Amino acid sequence: MDFELDEAQQAILDAVASLLDKHAGPARAIELAGTDAYDHELDAALAESGFTEVADAEGAGPLEAALISEAVAAAGGMVSFPARALVAAGVGAALPPGPVAVCTALPRGLVRFASHAKSLLVLAPGEARLVSLEPGDCAPVRSSFAYPMGQAPGGLAAAGDALGEGSADTLVRWWRLALAVEAVGTMAACLEVTTSYLSQRRQFGRTIGSFQAVQHRLAELAIQIEASRWLVREAAFQGAPAEGVATASAYALAAAGQVFAETHQLSGAIGFTREHDLHVFSMRLQALRIEMGGVAEHRRAVARERWGGGASGRGVGA
Amino acid sequence: MEFDWAPEDARHRDEIRAFLAEVLPADWEEISKHGPGSDTQAAFSKTFCARMAERGWLTQHWPAAYGGRDASAWRHAVVGEEMWAIGEPRGAQYMNVNWIGPAIMRFGSEEQKAFHLPRISRGEVLWCQGFSEPEAGSDLVALRTLALREGDEYVVNGSKIWTSYVDNAEFIFLLVRTDPESKRHKGVSVLLCPVDTPGVEVREIPSVVGARYFHEVFFSDARVPVSALLGPEGEGWNVVNYALQYERVGAARYARAARTLDRLAELARERGMLDDPTWVEKLAEARGVCEAARVLTYKVIDERAKGRPPSADTQLARVAGTRADSAVANLAVELLGAEALEYGSYADANFRLAMTAGVAVGATEVQLNLIASRFLGLPRD
Ligand SMILES: Cc1cc2nc3c(=O)[nH]c(=O)nc-3n(C[C@H](O)[C@H](O)[C@H](O)COP(=O)(O)OP(=O)(O)OC[C@H]3O[C@@H](n4cnc5c(N)ncnc54)[C@H](O)[C@@H]3O)c2cc1C
Repeated sequence: MDFELDEAQQAILDAVASLLDKHAGPARAIELAGTDAYDHELDAALAESGFTEVADAEGAGPLEAALISEAVAAAGGMVSFPARALVAAGVGAALPPGPVAVCTALPRGLVRFASHAKSLLVLAPGEARLVSLEPGDCAPVRSSFAYPMGQAPGGLAAAGDALGEGSADTLVRWWRLALAVEAVGTMAACLEVTTSYLSQRRQFGRTIGSFQAVQHRLAELAIQIEASRWLVREAAFQGAPAEGVATASAYALAAAGQVFAETHQLSGAIGFTREHDLHVFSMRLQALRIEMGGVAEHRRAVARERWGGGASGRGVGA
Repeated sequence: MEFDWAPEDARHRDEIRAFLAEVLPADWEEISKHGPGSDTQAAFSKTFCARMAERGWLTQHWPAAYGGRDASAWRHAVVGEEMWAIGEPRGAQYMNVNWIGPAIMRFGSEEQKAFHLPRISRGEVLWCQGFSEPEAGSDLVALRTLALREGDEYVVNGSKIWTSYVDNAEFIFLLVRTDPESKRHKGVSVLLCPVDTPGVEVREIPSVVGARYFHEVFFSDARVPVSALLGPEGEGWNVVNYALQYERVGAARYARAARTLDRLAELARERGMLDDPTWVEKLAEARGVCEAARVLTYKVIDERAKGRPPSADTQLARVAGTRADSAVANLAVELLGAEALEYGSYADANFRLAMTAGVAVGATEVQLNLIASRFLGLPRD
């Protein structure tokens, strides 16, 4: 057990931080959001530095991929990095460069990043599938929830290449992890934006962040975010065990709902504007909360994996 | 960063489980239901801790110089988890090994160490904690119990309140004010005071938590030898801070909560409730809360294993631990329904043990204050 970064991990995260400094951050996210765009520059920079392949790299693994994903999310990076570095790596799918989306084979699904994706990882009944996409395959759909969204094409249950026996379960595990890790980075950024704003904003002759009623609510969020962070990192290190990732995703995405509500409430009106950074992160949380059937589905997975119960849920891909 | 148990610690967990299976009596659940402070559990703790000590396990995290084995903080955490999960067969003695012993090691005279440490490490003595007073709760430093020096003795007057375990304890780790002119942190001292000192009177405070849970301890001209002073006179606040950093996450509440939750899931299955989405969601939610407390506590253990000064992570872990306790206790009552109405039933016993979690060992709001200032860096103005 060791909760501190070792030298190699520290070096990776330092390099990621300087890359994100250059290519990401809320200002960049706001600029991209106006055009519903994907950050190809950031995507390419992450790939060039070898970070995309870190899960399979010598001396690194899924924990390192998760740590980078967390940092990318916290910097508001508009890229499908976790889908590639964790999900594709986890199911062993070899993908061409470019954006990646993950979805179920359900018809009429709106999918994060699908409108830009070159590759689609599909949770189909029985086996997961890898589908190559051409421009125009997934029509863009406007969404409030920050990510570029696309309409998944029909017929996914039999499209592309099947990824082999057991791949559906594997895909679900890594997808849950990727989702939870993205939530962690995004929640941490929401809290950070809110805490620094409230440390400066004054009303009634004092800093709002000095009111105990406000402090306690932020402290409650801190507890949930930190717990989510460590649950996710532990599950990543362990190679995304089914129960571990279900617990992490159920806990983290429930926390995400609270982080959204509380950070907005405590930020006042400025929090709803495009000029303030909160929305860059908070609106994404809503999209993450809905994915994979949402908190209820993650919780059913916890019960199923731990106690063999809860089998009657609608299921992630059902 | 990595999250594997060291193989020897994982093995030790198995050894402890096998040991517990061997030595716990058939009616252990009945015994443990009344909490670590009950007479039966206090009596049982003496034989149990002696058997732990025989194997060298009771104080294995202590330095070898004091009869320990220099075991790591992680090894100690394994023991704590297994003990709490099963209802703490060490009884109140978990305090001895967690923080009273270490405080004596750090601040005690040679004579105090020679007298107290072997008793603690053999598992044959019960201690209690005399900190809180009627006017000094969360604001502990407002304490007023006075110990005035007269020759070779301190004459103690005042009272302590909420003192758990004192009715069976031989010693009280007593926080007093030795300088009557002093305010706040200055002039506070610690006395290692025998409970049977003349002038010390213990009265039970009846409570809804259970019989003999809380006590008030009155000191009327109780004469305690100066040799009972722990650390320098007037420097007691340092001693307490040192002790409390070990106390705050001393009890692995989440481990007991997680075990209870598994049992509830089993009961839910037997009653056909495990396919009902409502109960499934509640059980799974509670599982997350237990796991959250576990990882946050591990973060603190990691700090301790590395000898770092305790950070605000301690407070995160503390609050998370109490949340785990209450989430599971509330669910037990909801899930078992009318059965919980009977005194001593599984849900009732659990509920009462958990209901004090947010207040005992420092109330949650105070922990949240510390998280706000120390973890989030929010202004005080
Ligand atoms: C089961 C149990 C066992 C105990 N055993 C012992 C023992 O063995 N020895 C011992 O010495 N003591 C013991 N205690 C006492 C315990 O340490 C105190 O109860 C605790 O420190 C809180 O003090 P209080 O009860 O006086 O509450 P108070 O300090 O009166 O607090 C009441 C409420 O006000 C809140 N509050 C207080 N200050 C602030 C603030 N600054 N900001 C916001 N909110 C605040 C508190 O959080 C709490 O919710 C025990 C308590 C319990 C419940």
